[in-house]
Order: sequence, then C-alpha cells, then structure tokens
Amino acid sequence: MKAIRTILLAGAFAAGTCAAQAEEMVFASWGGSYQEAISKAWLQPFSEETGIDIIQDTEPEVARIKAMVETNSLEWDVVTGGGSTLMRGVAYDLFEPITADMVDQSHVIEGARNDYGVPSEIFSTVIGYSKDAFPDGGPRTFADFFDVEKFPGMRAVPDRAATVLEAALLADGVAPADVYKVLDTEDGFQRALDKVSSLRDHVAVWWSSGAQPVQALGSGEVVMALGWNGRFQAGMDEGLDIEMSWAESIAQVGYFMIPRGAPNRDQAIRFLNYMVQPEAQSRFSEYVAYGPVTDQAWEFIDDERQARLPSTPERLKNAIFMDIAWWADNATAASEKYRQMLQK
Amino acid sequence: MKTMPNMRPAFWAWVAVAPLLIFLGVLFFFPALSLLGISFGEDQLTFEHYLRIADVPIYRRVLLNTFAISALVTLFCVIVSYPVAYLLATVSPKVRKILFIVVLLPFWTSALVRTTAWIILLQRKGVLNDLLTGAGLIDAPIAFVYNLSGVLIGMTHVLMPFVVLPLFAAFINIDRTLVEAAEGLGAGPYSIGRRVILPLTAPGVIAGATIVFLNSIGYYITPALMGGPGQTMIAMLIADNINRDLNWSLAAALSVVLLLCTVAIFVVFQRVFGLERLLTGSASRGSTAKFSIGNKGRTGGGWLTFACGVAVLIFLIAPILIVFPMSLGSSPFLSFPPESYSLRWFENLFEEAKWMRGVVNSLQAAGVAVSLSVVLGTLAAIGTMRVGRRMRPWLETVFILPMVIPVIILSVGLFYMLAPLGVIGNPATLGLAHSVLAVPYVFITVRASLVGFDRNLELAALNLGASWPVMFRRVMLPAIMPGVAAGAVFAFIQSFDDVVLALFLTNIRSRTLPRVMFEGMVHEIDPTIIAASAMIILLTLTLLAINLLLSRRQS
Repeated sequence: MKAIRTILLAGAFAAGTCAAQAEEMVFASWGGSYQEAISKAWLQPFSEETGIDIIQDTEPEVARIKAMVETNSLEWDVVTGGGSTLMRGVAYDLFEPITADMVDQSHVIEGARNDYGVPSEIFSTVIGYSKDAFPDGGPRTFADFFDVEKFPGMRAVPDRAATVLEAALLADGVAPADVYKVLDTEDGFQRALDKVSSLRDHVAVWWSSGAQPVQALGSGEVVMALGWNGRFQAGMDEGLDIEMSWAESIAQVGYFMIPRGAPNRDQAIRFLNYMVQPEAQSRFSEYVAYGPVTDQAWEFIDDERQARLPSTPERLKNAIFMDIAWWADNATAASEKYRQMLQK
Repeated sequence: MKTMPNMRPAFWAWVAVAPLLIFLGVLFFFPALSLLGISFGEDQLTFEHYLRIADVPIYRRVLLNTFAISALVTLFCVIVSYPVAYLLATVSPKVRKILFIVVLLPFWTSALVRTTAWIILLQRKGVLNDLLTGAGLIDAPIAFVYNLSGVLIGMTHVLMPFVVLPLFAAFINIDRTLVEAAEGLGAGPYSIGRRVILPLTAPGVIAGATIVFLNSIGYYITPALMGGPGQTMIAMLIADNINRDLNWSLAAALSVVLLLCTVAIFVVFQRVFGLERLLTGSASRGSTAKFSIGNKGRTGGGWLTFACGVAVLIFLIAPILIVFPMSLGSSPFLSFPPESYSLRWFENLFEEAKWMRGVVNSLQAAGVAVSLSVVLGTLAAIGTMRVGRRMRPWLETVFILPMVIPVIILSVGLFYMLAPLGVIGNPATLGLAHSVLAVPYVFITVRASLVGFDRNLELAALNLGASWPVMFRRVMLPAIMPGVAAGAVFAFIQSFDDVVLALFLTNIRSRTLPRVMFEGMVHEIDPTIIAASAMIILLTLTLLAINLLLSRRQS
C-alpha cells in the first residue's frame, strides 16, 4: 500500500512537472493482498519501465462497470475479475474484444484463453484439511472428501454451486472430460445435486467469503474444506496446521479486461501485453500462491515456489478448468436449484 | 406572521412537508422507480421475471425466511430493550452517558468486525462453548453459529439500539405520579408494568420495532456470515442478481415483490392492532416530573429488571471487548486469545494513508447526511401531524419507503442519474444519498416524540403572543429534543455504516471508512480493520472520558 501511495505521489509529481506529456492509466482490482501482489509484480515495474503513471482504484463490480459504460462515465482502463464476471460483461457488451493484434496470447495455456480478457493468473479449488485431524494421511481425491466413513468430521463447502457441482461429479466417478457433458443433462445435474445433498449433514460451514474455510479449519470448526489454494497457502504460511491435496483440483482463471470506452485504451493494451509475458508472469507468485498462465514462465520459477502453485503441467493433468461458458448459460437456474437443495 | 399558522394550519403543514417530498421525489422516487421499472423487461413489456418468482419455489422460501427472521429479530429486540431502557432511565445522568455509549458501540465497528468477533465467541471451539464445557454445564459443544441462532444473535445485537433509544425517550417521559398512584392503589410491579408502563411506552416501542423490522428485511452480510443456507435472505439474492449475474430485471422484480409484501404486512398490522390508535391514544400529558424510582427504592421486580438490563449490556459489549485482544494478535487468521501478540495491524493502520482519508471522507458524508436529514425529517414530521387525517397515512408511507427498498437498487438508480452530472466521487454527493437512507429514521423518531407533545402548550404559547419560531424554539423543540437527537444518532449510523451506496458513489479519492474496510473481503479478512475498529472505540471512549471529566469540573 505504501507502494500505491508512492505511485500516486510520483504521478502527482510527474503531472506537475510535465503535465502535457504525462501518460496515465487507471487500474481497478479487488484490494487486499491480491491487489498488492499485482502492484508489486506488474504495476510498479511497468510504470518504471514505461513512465506511464498508474492510478489504482478498487472494487470493480461488474454492475458498476455496466453503469459506467452506459452512462459514458468510465474511469477505469483495466479491470480484473473472474470468469463469471468476464462472461456476464461480455453478454452485456461491456468489454473490448482482445484481438491477436492487440495482445498475442498464443503462448497462453489453452484452457485459460478468452476473446475478451487476458488471463492473469490461475488459482484452484482444492481440498484443504487439518493435519491434526488426520495424522495418518488426509483426504486426497474429491471422492475422499465425500466419504464420511473413511474421513469423518465436519466440512466447509462453498455456498454457491460453481466448483461444488463439478467436485461432486468427479467424486461420483464421472471422468474429468465428461463433467460438463453430464452437468448439461437434467439427470446429470440432479446427480450432482444429490451427491452434494448426501453430504449436507456433515457440512458445518457453507462459506460465502474465501477467508471463511481457512478460519474454520484453523479454529477446528471443520476438519476439511473445499477452498482456494491461495487462501489455504496463506494460512499455512502463517503457521496454521493445514495441508492441501493436489490429487484433484478445479482450476479457475483470473482475467484483466478493458471496458468499452476506456479513456486510456492504448496504455491499457501496452500494460496487458507486459503482464502476460512469461517473465512478468513468473513474478506474480512471489507475492501470492497463484500460478502463471503460460508454461514458458516455469523456467523463471524455482522448485520450492513451484510446489506452491496450482498450474504446473503435472497438476493441471489432474485438474479440470471451470467452464465459464457453461456457467454463463446456467448460472441463474443452477443457483436456484442449489439454494433450494440446501433449504432441506 | 404571528397569526398565520392559526389561520391556515393546513397550508403551513404542507409547507413543512414539501421540502422532504421534493427531496425524496428527486433523489429517491425517480432513481428507484426507473430501476424498478425494468422488472417488466428492459426492452419490451414482459412478466417473465414475476412468473419466475412465482414459479421457482426458492424465491417464496427466501421471502418467507426474510419476513420470519425479521419478525423474530424485532421481537427479540423489543424484549431485550425493555430492561436496558429501564436501566438507562433509572441511573444517574453520568452513568447514563456511559451506558449510552455501550448501547451504541456496536455501530462504531464495521459489520465485518462484529460478525468475526461473534463467530470467534460462538463457534464450536469458541469462547462461550469453552466456558460452558469447562464449567461442566454441557457435555458437547453447542452450534450457536452458522444457523438460525447465529443470525438472531448477530442481528439483535446490532439492531437493538434502534429500540432502546426511542424506548428510553418514552420511559423518561412517563409521568412519575402515575406510577406512584398505581402503587398507592395497591398495584404490584407486574400490573404496573402491564397497565402503566407498557401502554405509556408503546409509541416508543412501535417506532423502534418499525425501524428494526424494516432494517432487518434489507440485511444480508450478517445472515450470510453467521447463518446457514436455511437463513438466506432476499437482499442477498437481490444483491447477487445486481452485482454478480447482472440480472437486473429479476432483481427489480424481487424488489417490487418485497416492497408489496412489506406494505401488505403493514396494512394488515395496522388493521388488526390499530397502530394509529396505539400511537395517538397514549400521549402522556406534558409532565415535568421525570421517570425515576419512587422514595421506596427499587422493588423486587425493579431489581430483577435491573439485573436483566445488566445482562443485556454484557451481551452488547462482549464482542466489542474481544476486539482489543484480537487487534493485537500477530496472525491474520484470527483466534481468541491470540497465540502471540504484535502491533503489526496498528502499524498498517497508521502507515497507510487510506484509513485516515477514509475517516475524513466518512465524517464529511455523515455531516451532510445528518444535518440534511434532521432538518427535512423534523419539518416533515411536524407537518405530517397537522395535515388532514386522510392524507396522513399516505405521507407516512411515502416517508418510510426509503427503508423498504433494497439499498443496492437505490445505488444503481442514483448512479445512472448522477454520473452524467459528473458529481460521483464527491463526499457531499454520498452525503445526499445517505440522507435518503437516514431521513425515515429522523421522521419516525421525531413523529413518536410529537405524539407525546401536548398541542395545548403550543396553542397557549401562541396565544400568549409568542411567534411560531419562538414557540418552536422554546416550547416544541425542547419537548421533541430526545426524538430529534435519537434521529440524528440513527442518521449518523446509517451514513457511517453504509457500504453499498459508497461502492457505487465514491472513487479512489473519496472512499469512506466502511468501504476501505470492505475491500479485499471476498478473499481475506485483513486484521487492520479490527485495529481500525479498536481505534474508533478507543477514540469514542476517550471523548466520553473527557466529557465526563469536564462536566464534573463544571458542577
């Protein structure tokens, strides 16, 4: 955060001395340690290299992007969001298409590419468990997570359907490649819901914020949780007695987008090009345990750090990418049925 | 001027009511209705969203949840507020000052801090369960959170002051001679409570209960964090459809249904229980003798109530107390007591400029919101009491409506209206928007205190030659001051606690403290917000201590 202030000050200084030439760009993300990592890995070095001043804002809710675009009052040049935000925005024509002329994405992992956003990092939904509760080895696969006889104890599970339904089908024996084919049928969808429903009595926390599953594991409220690898890792780094299983995972991608009508579009494109380069990609994981979106970044990352990251080729072999197009089409109906199932 | 009010009372009543009507018309009805309109489709007329709500069972279920939880929370708030209001009314003014701060402290912390503290107290391996199992009172830990009891505890905790304040105002207005007369006639504490205290405090309770009920309907952070899926509330679905799914038509349709249900409940309530009769029939008659204990000291019932009041105060302060040790913990993963201590979160707090800037921006917005809503709300309350009987319920409904519409709907509507004017990001703009939220509180509390105001005093003053402004300043204002003050406090709280409007109407330069606290919350809890809460509490307590010391010197 000191850094943000430095940038702001530097920006103000630069604007004061050479107001005419000063190039700037406004970047908006989700605050906290995530945005701090972005700032250190990409924003500051980019700013130093190019002389473009970056002003940082926070909370780029897609609803506000829509309101800004439609009222012609856009303040942001680059915004960040997950796959569902991206797809929602695309449905309402809020983001600029990113063509190959603008940003070359050919080196990016295929499952992460998108026509309207440049992937920034990969994070995964995995099983985190308390080492204390399972001294002889904890749950490995999603099938273990759903097996309350072999691995007794309370669980923490997301209170939203995305990633939970996928994990349920994988646990039920569906092949990774078929997960969305099965979900797409009425029976398959019901099968996933039934599987989650069977676990209901063993779920103590249906979590709504990424911090909750880690907190619940740390306090002993639950013995295992479905959660994001970066949050579990942060807990482990602070000394919590947690372990993650990488045997299976559901990978998700973070994206950087240019909203339609961005005032500093050229600078935004330059920044996206910078951010997606392998060397820059390798830097992000110094600050937060999210993986690069291109395999070319691995040569810059040592083994110790690789062990913390979800997108190594080996781990992606056992992972499925969350299908954001499927979720875009089915979000409302899936969420209605998921909530209904949870009501008992 | 002197005789005008008597000649054309209705005209002057409308003059008093007009500013708020115009204000709400521009900054509430226009933006809210333009967004609610899209519930019938964005391009062409369709009822599909309403059909969906009727068709898919989850919406009925969640609506039912919402009203059931709101009703329970209102009930609990009323029950636990009585002993506290009694306590406040019967202690010395100095102790009262301290107790007032205790009652209001929950608001000085962000909703996220409050819920985190409660979870740490109430979870299976939490403080309360440890105490209970340690004392041998229970064998296995009880699940207090992530279910209905968690939601009720969390919401009652924060909404209770909305009943306590108006109830306290009603208590101190009770004519002591009535209590003494009842005692003299042989009434025991139970019948005094039921036949004297209860009817005389009814206007205060109804004002408070109305505020709590309407406020509860819009809650979603507390239920999401302290409840389970069975406690999903409608505001959560509306916010999700606005923010996440961009399904604004469905969100608007849900809001319209919510609005209609709420109004229907009020109409039924009014018919069955006769709200209006209750409000106007029990005016105490301008006594100067304040409520206090008789010469005989507290009765047995009095002591029991006193003890209950103290217990409720402990309930109010418990999560606030653990904020201090938590803010000194060294790990970002909170536990109580912390395993090791450090000052790192306080260092963050002072190092990062955004926190202090957030405080300044918040105070600016709150300043606009409090002054504007107090003036508009008080005027409107006085005016409403004097317009014809037939118009009065309509006006009251109009002035209370901003509490019923989900804040997110207002936020989006206001953004579309204000963004083209280029005023987004100005703290004064946010203050204007907060005034919309705050004005119903002022209106309700002032109106409740006007019920207890004897019109004959007003007429006497005017007949004795006082001009209307002089009468207002010397006669009416002192009588309704507790109501105005409570309204001002509520208005401040509305502004100081708001995240939703701030998310839409501020930018990097004008972020308020609650918005700064809210950032990053999707992923993590930054304990700096706990340090910030601890600082605010310390600051409040310091101001209180200085105030107490100064008043001692004066006396």
